[in-house]
Amino acid sequence: MFSRIALLVLVPTVALAQRPVIEISGANFRPMPLAVAAPLTQDEGAKTSSAEFDAALAFDFAACGLFQVLDRKSFLADPKEGVTASTIQFQRWTDVGAESLVKTQLSTDGASLRADLRLFGVAAGREELKVSESVPSKDARRLAHKLANAVYKHFTRETGPFETRLTFTRKSASGRDVYVSDWDGKNAQRITNGDVNVLPTLVPGGGVAFTSYRSKKPFLFISKGGEPTQLIAKGSMVTGAAFSPDGKRVAVSVSEGENAEIFLANADGSNITKLTDTKFFLNTSPTWSPDGKKIAFVSNRAGNPQIYMMNADGSGAKRLTFQGNYNTTPSWSPRGDLIAFTARDERNAFDLFTVNVENNKVARLTQDASGNEEPVFSPNGRLIMFTSTRGGGRGLYVMTFDGNNQIALPMEKGDVTTPDWAN
Amino acid sequence: MTAAAQSLLHDRPTPLPMFVAVSVAGHVLAVVLWLIVGWLFAGPRVDLTQTPIKASLVRLGKPRDDKLLPRKEEEAPPPAPKVEEVAVATPAPPKVDTAIKIPTKDAKPEKADKKDGAKDAKKSLFDAFAKSGKQGKVLEELEGAADGDVDGDSAKQEGERYFGLLNAVVKRNYDVSNTIDEAERRRLRAEVALRIGAAGELIDVSLTKPSGNEQFDSAVIGAVKKAAPFSAPPEHLRDSLKKSGVAIVFTP
Repeated sequence: MFSRIALLVLVPTVALAQRPVIEISGANFRPMPLAVAAPLTQDEGAKTSSAEFDAALAFDFAACGLFQVLDRKSFLADPKEGVTASTIQFQRWTDVGAESLVKTQLSTDGASLRADLRLFGVAAGREELKVSESVPSKDARRLAHKLANAVYKHFTRETGPFETRLTFTRKSASGRDVYVSDWDGKNAQRITNGDVNVLPTLVPGGGVAFTSYRSKKPFLFISKGGEPTQLIAKGSMVTGAAFSPDGKRVAVSVSEGENAEIFLANADGSNITKLTDTKFFLNTSPTWSPDGKKIAFVSNRAGNPQIYMMNADGSGAKRLTFQGNYNTTPSWSPRGDLIAFTARDERNAFDLFTVNVENNKVARLTQDASGNEEPVFSPNGRLIMFTSTRGGGRGLYVMTFDGNNQIALPMEKGDVTTPDWAN
Repeated sequence: MTAAAQSLLHDRPTPLPMFVAVSVAGHVLAVVLWLIVGWLFAGPRVDLTQTPIKASLVRLGKPRDDKLLPRKEEEAPPPAPKVEEVAVATPAPPKVDTAIKIPTKDAKPEKADKKDGAKDAKKSLFDAFAKSGKQGKVLEELEGAADGDVDGDSAKQEGERYFGLLNAVVKRNYDVSNTIDEAERRRLRAEVALRIGAAGELIDVSLTKPSGNEQFDSAVIGAVKKAAPFSAPPEHLRDSLKKSGVAIVFTP
């Protein structure tokens, strides 16, 4: 015992050398190089659907921000190479810079189209994911979206955005029409027919609401597959409908003279109450926090349009943006932390920014790429859809929530505005 | 004296326990005295927790107005091209109609189109000047400080300049795969220790505190290796960087 104590006391204390510590953050999160081999088809029916399936799958991977889809022209592997780990020459995929490899096989069975997807880690030469899905033969794109979602979930453990819906307006000969499409702008269905219809929003549980001039005054209408019906008619104009995440309430901006206030109503338009009360000022573009407790909106009560936030009962209004003098079209991230908005900067360029709800920190997403407006978050909060005039005509683009990987949707450009994105 | 008493196995009184007891008592007394003296003549408290140095290298430029919306950090543009290298499009020669026109009584004199070519050349020249002017403007508009570094990548200077430089070059190579999910990114933190030679060469690098994510750990080691060799450290840091090195804490 004594000797133990003695040892403890007598052991000399070693002075450890202290080295300076530098802290580095702000990693360049770069997309993972992903090789997507051309689908192998097992019959004629599968061959017919192959191109459509392949294009949808490649776009999903390229646009989601996780992957850098490698150019097939650079591939060294035999196009007819097998789809199992034992038949793949992984070195050939390593040589072209791939870190992961996707192989798909298509076949038809009566009226259905089946796809088997395998994901391989190239360095380890190991199969990491195997998934099979079937859909009616005409839905090749949907089949691709399902498989892309499976791969997305494998990496992120989150639901992917590839089976979500999009709504937007497009200029028509007689005005402006509302469309609802797949997330990539394909499979677009026209909801209105004539008149001017603007600011569409997807209704939780199905349907789309929009401001329409069909009854001469611009009021709020809703369409659930059939003829649109009037939802809210008040003041001289009802715009910017935003449904609460639970779908039970709807916030709108009601204009009267030179004044516009935010109102809250039940989802069926009943029991409408005023939330803001600022005479001679405009309060517009409401957007809900994901927990349904707060609403962000635009107000010019401080002299120019800025982003504000208030409780869902109208109390506790608080200004969020203090930089710039023209900040509009807020969209609250489903993750809750960020609000994306359009701002006009000191060069008079319209660009997209986010403001952090906690610390009011503003971050720029787009820069020096023509005009960029009307951001909307994907249902999982990882992507932002927006309109841009880059590349001629106003079209829809998608990027990651931090402004990376800006890419055009594979749809016809031409005066497409105000997208909304939901499950 | 019996033989048994002379045996080595026979118990004898020994001074060792007394010696150990005195030694222990002496040391305990010394420690207590040291604590008392330390308490009586206490200097400023030393914080043993290492606070990371936040270092960034400010670039040459002018400070940005806080009221303005932020700009994305811009890379310094490449050097402006020499004036003689500015390409000026040569106007295409006007089309020459080889057919001989016979003048008629009603014919109006044709407007000479030679001006168009001159106009195009003038426009091209102005465009070229405008382009080089814009490039100069970008240089002028980069935000930084009057005594900033041309290699700087930040609008504000913080901490020791050499660590700022290390920060800048390692950060440039700090590439991490996007497939690491959002929730995991929030908890990622890895510490790397590296030693740097007098000429700026990387002596060694090791992962001292792994993050637990293989992709992230290999990315941070890769960032240091790709950034090496570094600039030669200043005289006052040379010895410590060679012997004890520097630690880098990486967070996403």
